[in-house]
Amino acid sequence: MSPASLDEELVAAAQGGSAKAFSRLVERHQQALRAFLRRACGNWAQADDLAQETFLAAWSQIGRLKAGASVRAWLCGIGYHKHLTAARTAGRERVRAAAYEADRNPAAGPPAEDRIALEGAMADLPPDQRACVALCLAADFSHAEAAEALDMPLGTVKSHVSRGRARLLQALGVCDDAS
Amino acid sequence: MTQADDRLKALFALDQPPARDPAFSTAVMERVMRQQLRDEVALLCGVSVVFAGVLWLVWPTLQTALVTLSQGLAPALGALALAFCAMSILGGRPTAALGLAT
Repeated sequence: MSPASLDEELVAAAQGGSAKAFSRLVERHQQALRAFLRRACGNWAQADDLAQETFLAAWSQIGRLKAGASVRAWLCGIGYHKHLTAARTAGRERVRAAAYEADRNPAAGPPAEDRIALEGAMADLPPDQRACVALCLAADFSHAEAAEALDMPLGTVKSHVSRGRARLLQALGVCDDAS
Repeated sequence: MTQADDRLKALFALDQPPARDPAFSTAVMERVMRQQLRDEVALLCGVSVVFAGVLWLVWPTLQTALVTLSQGLAPALGALALAFCAMSILGGRPTAALGLAT
């Protein structure tokens, strides 16, 4: 069974009130949603809280999800709106300040300065641009899928991704071999 | 995909949560169940309040009807109660107990 048809089956069962089916949807999509929210808001703890809130909202609104719609995009859309609301309430500066030293992943990988530069550059992007970059460059969403998830025109998403990408590469000091 | 995109992707991958996270999924489902319980309790409370209100409104009429009905049905209900007691005492087989079975 393909992932999309499995999702469709689980959504249908969850719409019928099956908490077990919804729990499988949570298991299947928690990674994508949490990764998106981590990149969109920069604070891992807050991102996980928002992801939980998103799943709660999704459980109440699952009846509105149309058959065949992308569950991943739908969840990211709800999460994005929750993030915007939280950022408006708390103030983006405070969210950013908590993001860095406390929540940095200590795992080995690319040089720490690259990660810091990337996080800094992401934090400096406007929220809409950051969300587009998080979906299209980091999570392999198509531009159309991101436009649907974020409720933005396709052209806006494309220009956000292109500008965001250029700013990130500039912050990393990487030459853009595509241009 | 260009080398620059690959590099960006590698850096973004560091933020990736685990593919399976039972603690997170359990926490979500715990909150979902709690919310469902709250919704059901709220619904039951609402239905009870509505039912109590309706009962309060129709009670004067209902009370009169119930008194009249119970007076009319008292002999029949008494007979039925006796029959039920007899069935219980005779073990559910009255014909055999009274020696009427062939």
